[in-house]
Amino acid sequence: MQNAVKGKDGITRYLVTIKVNGDEYTRIVKANTLLVNFLRDELDLTGTKRGCELGDCGSCTVLLNGKPVDSCLVLAVEADGQEVTTIEGVAGVDGLDKIQEEFIKNGGLQCGYCTPGMIMSAKALLAKNPKPTEKEVREAIAGNLCRCTGYVLIVKSILAASGQEMETYYE
Amino acid sequence: MSLLPEYRDPSKKKEYAVIGKSKPKIDGPEKVTGAAKYCGDLKFPNMLYGKMLTSPYAHAKILSIDTSEAEKIPGVKAVITHKDVPSKKYGISPARWDENCLCIDKVRYVGDKVAAVACVDEETCYKALAAIKVEYEPLPAVLDYRHAGDEGMPNIHEEYPGNINTEIHQEFGDLKKAFEEAYYVRKDVFQGQRAYQSPIEAHCAISMWNGNKLTIYSTTQSTHYFQYYIAREFDLKMGDVRIIKPYIGGGFGGKLEPTGLEFNGAVLAKITGRPVKMFYDRADMFYHNRGRHQGTYELTTAVDKNGKILGVHANFILDGGAYTSLGIATAYYAGALLPLTYEFDNYKFDMYRMYTNLPACGAQRGHGAPQPKYAFESHLDNIARDLGIDPLEIRLVNARKPYTTTVNSFDIQSCELKACLERVAELSDWRKKKKEGMPKNTGIGIATGAFVSGAGYPIYRNDWPDASCMIRMNEDGTSATVYNTTVDLGQGSDTVICQMAAEAMGYRYENMRIISGDTEAGPMDFGAYSSRQTLMSGWAAKRAGEDIKRQVLNMAAAMMGLPPDDLDARDGIIFSKSHHHPTKWQPLTYEEVVSQYCKLYGPLIGKGMYKVHATGGTFKGAAVGTSPAYSFCVQAAEVKVDEETGEIEVLAFYDVHDCGQPINPMLIKGQVHGALYMGMAETYWEEVHFDPKTGVCLNPTLGGYLLPTALDMPKIIKNEIVDSYEIVAPWGVKEVGEGSTNPTMGCFRNAIVDAVGVTINSTPITYEKVWRALKDKKEGKQPAEIKMPPPPANAAVKPY
Amino acid sequence: MYIPDFEYYAPDSLDEACQMLAQFGGRAKVLAGGTDILPKAKTFSPIAPPQTPLPEILVSLKNLEELKKIEYVPGKGVVIGALATHNDLVNSELLNKKYMSISEAAHQMANNQVRNRGTVGGNLINAVPSADLPPILIALNASIKLVSVDGERVLPLEELFLDVCVTCCTEKEILTEVVIPDQKMTGSNYIKFGARRSGALAIAGVAVAVEVENNVIKDARIVAGAVAPTPIRTKKAEDFLKGKEVTAELLEEAGVIASGECKPITDIRGSAEYRTNLVRVLTKRALRKAIDQGHV
Repeated sequence: MQNAVKGKDGITRYLVTIKVNGDEYTRIVKANTLLVNFLRDELDLTGTKRGCELGDCGSCTVLLNGKPVDSCLVLAVEADGQEVTTIEGVAGVDGLDKIQEEFIKNGGLQCGYCTPGMIMSAKALLAKNPKPTEKEVREAIAGNLCRCTGYVLIVKSILAASGQEMETYYE
Repeated sequence: MSLLPEYRDPSKKKEYAVIGKSKPKIDGPEKVTGAAKYCGDLKFPNMLYGKMLTSPYAHAKILSIDTSEAEKIPGVKAVITHKDVPSKKYGISPARWDENCLCIDKVRYVGDKVAAVACVDEETCYKALAAIKVEYEPLPAVLDYRHAGDEGMPNIHEEYPGNINTEIHQEFGDLKKAFEEAYYVRKDVFQGQRAYQSPIEAHCAISMWNGNKLTIYSTTQSTHYFQYYIAREFDLKMGDVRIIKPYIGGGFGGKLEPTGLEFNGAVLAKITGRPVKMFYDRADMFYHNRGRHQGTYELTTAVDKNGKILGVHANFILDGGAYTSLGIATAYYAGALLPLTYEFDNYKFDMYRMYTNLPACGAQRGHGAPQPKYAFESHLDNIARDLGIDPLEIRLVNARKPYTTTVNSFDIQSCELKACLERVAELSDWRKKKKEGMPKNTGIGIATGAFVSGAGYPIYRNDWPDASCMIRMNEDGTSATVYNTTVDLGQGSDTVICQMAAEAMGYRYENMRIISGDTEAGPMDFGAYSSRQTLMSGWAAKRAGEDIKRQVLNMAAAMMGLPPDDLDARDGIIFSKSHHHPTKWQPLTYEEVVSQYCKLYGPLIGKGMYKVHATGGTFKGAAVGTSPAYSFCVQAAEVKVDEETGEIEVLAFYDVHDCGQPINPMLIKGQVHGALYMGMAETYWEEVHFDPKTGVCLNPTLGGYLLPTALDMPKIIKNEIVDSYEIVAPWGVKEVGEGSTNPTMGCFRNAIVDAVGVTINSTPITYEKVWRALKDKKEGKQPAEIKMPPPPANAAVKPY
Repeated sequence: MYIPDFEYYAPDSLDEACQMLAQFGGRAKVLAGGTDILPKAKTFSPIAPPQTPLPEILVSLKNLEELKKIEYVPGKGVVIGALATHNDLVNSELLNKKYMSISEAAHQMANNQVRNRGTVGGNLINAVPSADLPPILIALNASIKLVSVDGERVLPLEELFLDVCVTCCTEKEILTEVVIPDQKMTGSNYIKFGARRSGALAIAGVAVAVEVENNVIKDARIVAGAVAPTPIRTKKAEDFLKGKEVTAELLEEAGVIASGECKPITDIRGSAEYRTNLVRVLTKRALRKAIDQGHV
């Protein structure tokens, strides 16, 4: 790889440029730097959470070229030249995204730790499928573990963001 | 400002302006944008990262620790062992302090704390830990709690021979007589598994010193208890310890006690003179644990021919793990809460909580109650079946009535358990289903639960108020800030407290702010445990709000030329209750009145506190389980069983709760859904597995420890609350979050029995267990019986 | 959590990648989606060591666009590039049309985020016994291509797997494609049984492909996963079915035979006895579904 330089400690470091939330950031990283740590430590984008660190919980979900991935399973060097969207890139200057609004309105969050990842999964789903069924919503967030809500109000929030009622919801 | 005569309409008087409404969570905008900072998100200038080295052996002598190689690694700033930290034992409950910041002579479980490092980054921490050389002499380990007390077992703590951590023998009434006079007596034995709270956010603590003052940012459920215990450990004045709780990513009981991250982080911060962020990774969390105790539960119950319970003998044994944690309370809770839902006059409770060489167990949602309740609800269904009584009817026959006292001296205030039973029966169409039957392999089960609305006594004995609160108006009256040290773990206490404060003030929720969880900013509150904050901290908030309102009305009275008694406030508007005129006595706004007040007198501050009245009996352990008020709930579940694989599909779930008057119905829904989630998970999936030979955790990951996903939840969830009002509580509130876990396992188990006729007496009820039970049944084999282990050899009393 | 340092290369062509692997020998490993090798390389607390540490060097295939395609090559069959992600399989129109069962099997894997990163090649080469793709691909008689500086070899997929996480792919070779040949099979599918509906490893999984004409089974392939060190074909059950008329009893019997051919272990996810039972049930059900749905 061209943009690599070996440090005094004998460890190679790599120059990477990643477009995050529309802006390009160039940093020097070690090969073992995970995208989640790149975002949190290098860019201070701490909205992306570390949960299980094994791809089981989805707390670190970001969009990589528009698709949700666990940023704890992606090396920063692998994301070189790619586009990443994090939770910080979801709201616009003129206000919250519809999904974010509906999470607040419908009680789709409690401790909030899984929320950024959950919203990223929802964002990707609705971008691809604006009117998902309840089953499709559940499929889309099945990689995002929430310990607080039992998912009911999360599913309701996402359906609401797509302009739909949750048919199984009992008021 | 025009007149708003509807405020004076007497018919509207009972309509609350703020409470009883599903207000959006106050922390919602920060949490949905990623702006909310959790402990692990915080950084301070010059901050180091710290981590603990833990034991690879379940039980071993520490012969030597050599840190020299670790110290040579570039970027390692400090390495500490027991020699560097206070040797004073700590714990969360003074009932027994038995844990050291770092182990001195021996380690007691795989994961026990041995050394700690502070380094320039996380990566270096791991390298440093790997370079510490510890010489151990492995000792035989005690890994099965059922035999921990056997003659000849190795002793885990020298001070506590026979590995008995807690021994309880309580007797109320005349059980012998009840058994003799009974129409029917049945005995069953059940078993529960080790579960773990498994919050998604890992524990973290950032310690820093300024001279002799210690500040710790921590993932804690109680800033006060941390402040108290950290001051105690380091011989500091409480005023020199500041605990700050940033946003917390779930706790469920697992973040109530100090972990060692705080103590060792504070020492490392002192040595290096720099802030130190100590953190757990996922595996550390499973090893630290403090999750649900596993236990064996023997129940013997005497009933008359109508199924009326005459007496109960609960004989339990718990796996406490290597340390006490909150486990003495757990042990008492396990038996103390059983008499809540059903009325009976004779009760005997025997309990041994055993030390083992496994991670310590503590308080997990429903503290001590869910497994015994699962056992009792299963047991009661067995009795009903034996007597040919409908499971709903046997519960109605025995259901607790309001304003009664339990056999173990708990004063029950409001109680709508019967209404809950009837409503669940209606929602689930119980009677029709029972009469007409259900499709093949489907079944329905029912169970009840109850829980404290806050513990009657603090964890360490003290005379401080249980809760206190301060409210300060912004000088121009456009916002009000609540200061307290409650802990919002996600359950929404910040929101509920602000709603209650605003209601009491006659102010607007939308203009409320809250600074909670900083011991230097807010007055003392014991924090988030035992479902206490809505009632206890709610009282303090209500009283602080009323204090503000009193001052505002006094000021407004002077401004309006009316007596204060004639004024009231609502939605931020102060108006006369009696005087109505097109030009005179115009209503004033909070903004106008508060501005005037602050210009004349300076800060406008309200304060309030709450202290639980003395409650409970006088026998040993009488304090555990006392509470100002108890919630009640009933759940029913419909399941479908795949006969060939044992797979269970939950078709529908019903929950009706008596949680007093609701403050925020949407948050109540969320609590019930979450409790169902956890209860369902413990019914079918979740279990922390340990290697039976080594004590190594076999599934310390979220891929191995299975939390349900969005696809695993039931299709239909119907939950409601019944009309209820608790007079001892602010606006009649009671708890909801923990009590909802109590019936869950029992109602699922009973539904499976109803569906396919097999009784599975241990949790988790895995698909494999269901399959095996069905297979045994088909082959005419008796189901494998769970045996009650013998009492520990060293027991003071051996009741059986 | 920590992964020790390693060197990283991202060659621009397959040739270059092969040369690197030849040059580095055993010091290097191929990185595709990383959803398997990265988590396994992570050190948690020192008492939770990595399952499989990384070698000194990772050679990333991320720039090899040509290995990401899924296409039909007349005379050869459906060619799935080794770097196609699981979600590429789920969403491929070609597969949805020709081999729905492969898309469905891919959809049962892990969770959405992992399916967006994990690749077919990675799933095969990591050779985890519970992997969800091998059974259905073997049932459809897939072959694979392994490429190295020494040339390339094509072999039936079932010959790839030697043991738990061990394959016959040498350290110099790169798996580049999976080929599903044109089928006579009339139906196929894969049933996974996990404790949870998403993100759970299979306790057992069975894939079948059948050729049925006039209600008579002309050919059958049955592959079980998670019940032996490698995915296994239950050939006795396959032979038993051939030439017989489809009845409920026949399928039941096939399940019994298949369950006798697996060699499961007992672990925290399930006992050997339970897994054996699952093979019986899943075989029966997968056969029924493959016969009834009438497409592969």
